[in-house]
Amino acid sequence: MNSVDESAAAKDAGEDSVLIRMQDIRKHYEMGSQIVRALDGISVEIGRGDWVSFIGSSGSGKSTFLNILGCLDRPSGGEYFLNGVYVEELGANQLAEIRNREIGFIFQSFNLLPRATALGNVMQPLVYRRISYRRRKEMAMEALRRVRLDDRMDHLPNQLSGGQRQRVAIARALVTEPSILLADEPTGNLDSRTGAEIMQLFDQLHREGQTLILVTHEEDVAGLGDRVIELLDGKIIRDRRAGEPLH
Amino acid sequence: MFYVIFESTRSALISIFAHGLRSFLTTLGIVIGVASVIAVVSLTQGMSAFIGESFSSLGSNSLTIQSYTPIAEQMRGVRARLTPEDLELIERRGESIASITPILYANRTSQIRYAAQTTFSQIMGTTYAYSDVSQSYMLLGRFIAESDNLTRRRVAVIGEKVREDLALPENPVNEYVELGGEWFKIIGLLEPKGDIMGFNQDDIVLVPYSTMVSLQGNQARTDIQIQLSLSEDADVEDVTRQLTALLRNAHDLGPDEDDDFVINTAEQLMETFDTIINMVTLVIGGIVSISLLVGGIGIMNIMLVSVTERTREIGICKAVGAKRHHILAQFLIEAMLLSLLGGLIGLALGYGLGTAISSSIDSFPPASIPLWAIALALGFSGFVGVLFGILPAAKAANLDPIDALRYE
Repeated sequence: MNSVDESAAAKDAGEDSVLIRMQDIRKHYEMGSQIVRALDGISVEIGRGDWVSFIGSSGSGKSTFLNILGCLDRPSGGEYFLNGVYVEELGANQLAEIRNREIGFIFQSFNLLPRATALGNVMQPLVYRRISYRRRKEMAMEALRRVRLDDRMDHLPNQLSGGQRQRVAIARALVTEPSILLADEPTGNLDSRTGAEIMQLFDQLHREGQTLILVTHEEDVAGLGDRVIELLDGKIIRDRRAGEPLH
Repeated sequence: MFYVIFESTRSALISIFAHGLRSFLTTLGIVIGVASVIAVVSLTQGMSAFIGESFSSLGSNSLTIQSYTPIAEQMRGVRARLTPEDLELIERRGESIASITPILYANRTSQIRYAAQTTFSQIMGTTYAYSDVSQSYMLLGRFIAESDNLTRRRVAVIGEKVREDLALPENPVNEYVELGGEWFKIIGLLEPKGDIMGFNQDDIVLVPYSTMVSLQGNQARTDIQIQLSLSEDADVEDVTRQLTALLRNAHDLGPDEDDDFVINTAEQLMETFDTIINMVTLVIGGIVSISLLVGGIGIMNIMLVSVTERTREIGICKAVGAKRHHILAQFLIEAMLLSLLGGLIGLALGYGLGTAISSSIDSFPPASIPLWAIALALGFSGFVGVLFGILPAAKAANLDPIDALRYE
């Protein structure tokens, strides 16, 4: 866990190297008379170019954390700076813009638009950036080339295999050149061989300097990153370098 | 803004054509609504144009002067009259009159007989000027000449309807018919003019005015009608005013007495019919446009279903950066395009329907669609699309991205 001293030191070292700074992030839901503390005081810093895995069993709060990290949801308390922007103060439309510019989502169930081709899916985020059709197409084709799917551009999602769909999703995440790739159980719906291929792709992207944040419950997937953060009951219980023994 | 509209239109079109049949059924209400509006309007407007033409065949700058007695006066046995003296007065002093003719209707009998056939017709005594005033032209033979009047010749010019009713030969000239106990020689057959609002203009027999006068036994109380046509540059209103003054003076009417005659212009009649037809158009159009509202509700229904169906897609779009207005525009434009496409199909269908109806009924004039009806139909269907698209679009735009992504 980062102590206050360490975070101050990181601040001194330069704002630029820190991409995400969370201070005492809380998310409470009211369920009838009960208050559910989905997140209960999370403080974390993630640097540029890091590969961080969040791990936890279901109910540990990792989905809620992912939603807040991905600017899909706002915390009920605490401070969240993303790339120097204080996220809490933003309205729904500004959050949408942050999501478009800073974050590339990769979901467990791929979440591709069923009626759009691979190319169309990858072009979609660029629609919200006022980029011309021709330029969008060029950028999307380039992104598909990066995930080695340039021969399947005109296929609809249901004409693609699971691994191919996830690669389309990764291309869609990459096409906006986001500061963070945010993957939620990216191998959860894939068999182990395709899962390994996807993780290989992540490794390659990481080496190219891409910041990666993975949320998973699989230890061997989490272990591939630089750093593993364990969540339990809405709190960080362990923050370790990958490869360190669990206990 | 333009970029958003353009991109939304692109994705809306993709979505509309992806569900071709459903989109068509959705917009069917609009199709039927617009088609019926256009069919009705095209028929009534066609009729209006036709009536306009018919009246111009009556002579658009012609006037008819008739005596007029209010019913209350009639009960007291008073009868206003127009006399040959009035005719003379107008001939002498009237301004910008091109031609003028008296008309004397047969008052005792309007029966006409040829061989064993008998029929009733409109029998009028008139002069050679009638041809000019009423724009009547000859098909066969000649019209009544001035000499016919001077010598009270027993000759008649008949219309096509009369010829048919009496079973006269194709060329009835030189045949004899019996009118009021006298034999008349047919000298001409009029060119058929057709119907105006159920009134057959070819059911007519014309005889010389003076012949008709003598036929009626030189009655002192002759009440005639005067028809006159004006010169090209004449102002109908001015002439009406001048003639009114002239006749009031001749009839010794005081300033507080009403006119004992009426001056009708063909234009007035035409305006009356136009007003009636426009009213009919408005009323029927209003009733039919209710079906457009119903169509709009159909669109709203399907759009709501579509929003629910595409909740996850909306979530995805929001996750990758769609703002509220992107989603709003997409669904609103989709609803509007659906509605507009329906409007276009309806327009074509309605025009086809109007044309089919007007051509399958013989006496019906050809359909014509005025531009305002096209603009109105398309504008209204677009408006219906927006109106009924707002609710579903707002629902879509307000979806929470997390809930939407989680939606199964």
